[in-house]
Amino acid sequence: MGIQATRIYRFDASGCNGCDIEVLEILALVPVAELGVEIVETPKEANVLLVTGGSNLKSKGELESAYAAIQEPRLVIAVGSCGATMGIFKGGYAMTGPIDAIVPVDLYIMGCPPRPQVILGALADALQLKVEGLETLLHTPQGFRGDPHVDQGKCIGCGACANVCPADAIEIVESGTERLVRFMRKDCIFCASCQEVCPTEAVELHAGDKAWFRKKDASMSEARLQRRPCLVCGTPFLPDAQMNWAMNRAEEKLELGTGDRSKLQRSLNICMQCRRNSIGEVREAKSLLASLASRASGSGARS
Amino acid sequence: MSGCERAGGAAWEVGYVVPSQSDAKVIVYEPQLCTGCRYCEVACAVWHCGRIDVAQSRIRILFDEARTAERYSAVNCQHCDDPICCAVCPPEALHKDEKTGWVMQNSSKCVGCEMCIVACPLSVPFFDAALNVAVKCDFCFGAPECVKHCSSGALRVVAREDAVRFNERLFLSAKEEQ
Repeated sequence: MGIQATRIYRFDASGCNGCDIEVLEILALVPVAELGVEIVETPKEANVLLVTGGSNLKSKGELESAYAAIQEPRLVIAVGSCGATMGIFKGGYAMTGPIDAIVPVDLYIMGCPPRPQVILGALADALQLKVEGLETLLHTPQGFRGDPHVDQGKCIGCGACANVCPADAIEIVESGTERLVRFMRKDCIFCASCQEVCPTEAVELHAGDKAWFRKKDASMSEARLQRRPCLVCGTPFLPDAQMNWAMNRAEEKLELGTGDRSKLQRSLNICMQCRRNSIGEVREAKSLLASLASRASGSGARS
Repeated sequence: MSGCERAGGAAWEVGYVVPSQSDAKVIVYEPQLCTGCRYCEVACAVWHCGRIDVAQSRIRILFDEARTAERYSAVNCQHCDDPICCAVCPPEALHKDEKTGWVMQNSSKCVGCEMCIVACPLSVPFFDAALNVAVKCDFCFGAPECVKHCSSGALRVVAREDAVRFNERLFLSAKEEQ
């Protein structure tokens, strides 16, 4: 065992009690006493602080003193999304969290609330406990969702997922000629909105459910995309893959002549700013649209 | 200020008549007549958002002093016959209204992938950060404000066939002469 005689002190930092109930559920999963873990009644006896909730004005001081009271080496485990982000309480007038703003957190267990299996898995990982059959317990039950994974090959970097994500868990980072789509572990609520809207079905919520991590800004999955430089101003604007996708889709659904196709291809190489701000480009675009319109009406007149 | 609500209310509230197929109309823009007053932009923004914020205008007038010919231009929706924006829209939030010929958007279906903004050669739709969706010209449900407020007559509502001829003359034939 990593830590001699693990003694856990549970601290409810103004949570909704959802996580507390899930922590209790562990008792139904495994014989906790046999694992060499003890739940203690006062922080003085403990060396592990298991915190639920996101901390508010009333619990902040208590949490600080509980942390000061536990024995070294102090191990703080934040259970539930509140620990990392304050979860559903984010922005509340009385909130003083997240937990890591008050005491250093060693392990975050995500979920609102996390499944007891996940909490057990995280505890086993952090405290080096041997739990039999943990792998099967960790597998998400059928019909439930696990972590989102983005397929680098399929992702076109359009950002629809980031736009619809209710928890703001998807970051779009523009760095130089690259666009990075990052699925942040700490914010994800596993709602599958990203999977729902993805035009290329690049996002999938896997059955895997290893929802604990040590670094707060860890990402579950990310896609790296090359951005296309603008033909006119030269600055990289949107991902190559997105432009190609738009072009393929347009070719698929519309009847484009060779001239129109090359014109459309050209316009896809120009950034929105240049397209909208230069009279020359507007003229090019309008002539393309005019030729498409006259083709459509012309063929109608002839038939 | 967040959100962008139409000042005049919905089409049925303001009493616009939705035309039938036979008289499908389009907006045309004649650069030679434009004076660059940008009243159309203001009118558009006021009707769609209830405030004078030309960044919210669905039409955009360009003026370039450096040019000798064609110093004015407009970025306005052509309400294409075969719209590229509709073709590329993944959730099919954009559609060509069969009856009226307008390219309309269902904002509640829009996921904000910006594909229409990317694909439209004119980049007519733009992303409304407050609403988290792309927005575009909706023809004001039949009585375009930009046309109403265009004092010089550069913006006009004409029948679709006439618009096709007009744009052919303006953009296709002139190009060949050059």
